[in-house]
Amino acid sequence: MNSQIQTIAELDRVIHEPGRLMVVALLFAVDRSDFIYLQHETGMNKGTLSSHLSRLEEAGYVEVEKTYRGKVPQTLLRLTAAGRKAFEQYRRKLREAL
Amino acid sequence: MDQIESLLNRPKAYYNIDGVGELAMGFMCLAYSLLAWLQANAPKDSVWHGMPASIIYFGLMCLILHYGPKAIKKHITYPRTGFVEYRKRDTVWRPMILGAVVAAALSVGLGIALRRHWNVMTPASLIGLLWAASYAYGIARMGMVRWKWAVVCVVALGSLVIAANPADLVGALADHSWHGAFMLVMTLYGAVLLISGGISFWLYLRHTEAPSPEAP
Repeated sequence: MNSQIQTIAELDRVIHEPGRLMVVALLFAVDRSDFIYLQHETGMNKGTLSSHLSRLEEAGYVEVEKTYRGKVPQTLLRLTAAGRKAFEQYRRKLREAL
Repeated sequence: MDQIESLLNRPKAYYNIDGVGELAMGFMCLAYSLLAWLQANAPKDSVWHGMPASIIYFGLMCLILHYGPKAIKKHITYPRTGFVEYRKRDTVWRPMILGAVVAAALSVGLGIALRRHWNVMTPASLIGLLWAASYAYGIARMGMVRWKWAVVCVVALGSLVIAANPADLVGALADHSWHGAFMLVMTLYGAVLLISGGISFWLYLRHTEAPSPEAP
């Protein structure tokens, strides 16, 4: 029991938040995606998704690239190598805890 | 944990959110069927029996299959529900290996059936059942919408109905050659996929709208 609690306590807090977990899991399965895709898949509004992405970018887990699709601004997002490693570790620890 | 696994499968299911994957597959099956019909029914001295016509036909088919879905994704899907770039190992290696194994197995099976003068209806229908099983696996794994199970039932049932038909009757469609069974099976798969993809596309257009320019 104690080791289980210990494992849960060791979970990465940045990823453990449900909204960010959704974002990281979705980005983990692809090479990169845009903001609209994440908004569509997570059902979050622009503000909430933006704040989660900022937090992930601060932690060095997500790389943000601002570009244009024709004349429309496009925000491309990619999980960094550190983000991939952190998510793999998070899944492993969560499996151990459960 | 299951929820995380389901999230990891979401991007794969997203590829066919607009039904474009099925539309492309359906188009390919119907194109094969049309070529088989042309080769079986065109006069012996027709261009359809020559290699250049087949190469041009396949070239055009590949161009449409490559650029058609890309154009739909670029102009309709990405502005509505977002752009996704898949990881290279998912988009290239797995389908290539799977395609190569299936093509090799089908070629060997068909070759043996033709050499031994077997009734080609049986292998053709077995292919249909295998296809229905793999489609069912995809639906279950990716958690696609429930009505897609109807596609599995129609393909499986259609394959059994084709198998139950007398070989002579089916052969008569294509000058009593194996083209008849091939045509029938490809027409069935093509029609079912086009209808299924068309419904998905219609539902997609109905339930989504192009968002205003993003400002994250």
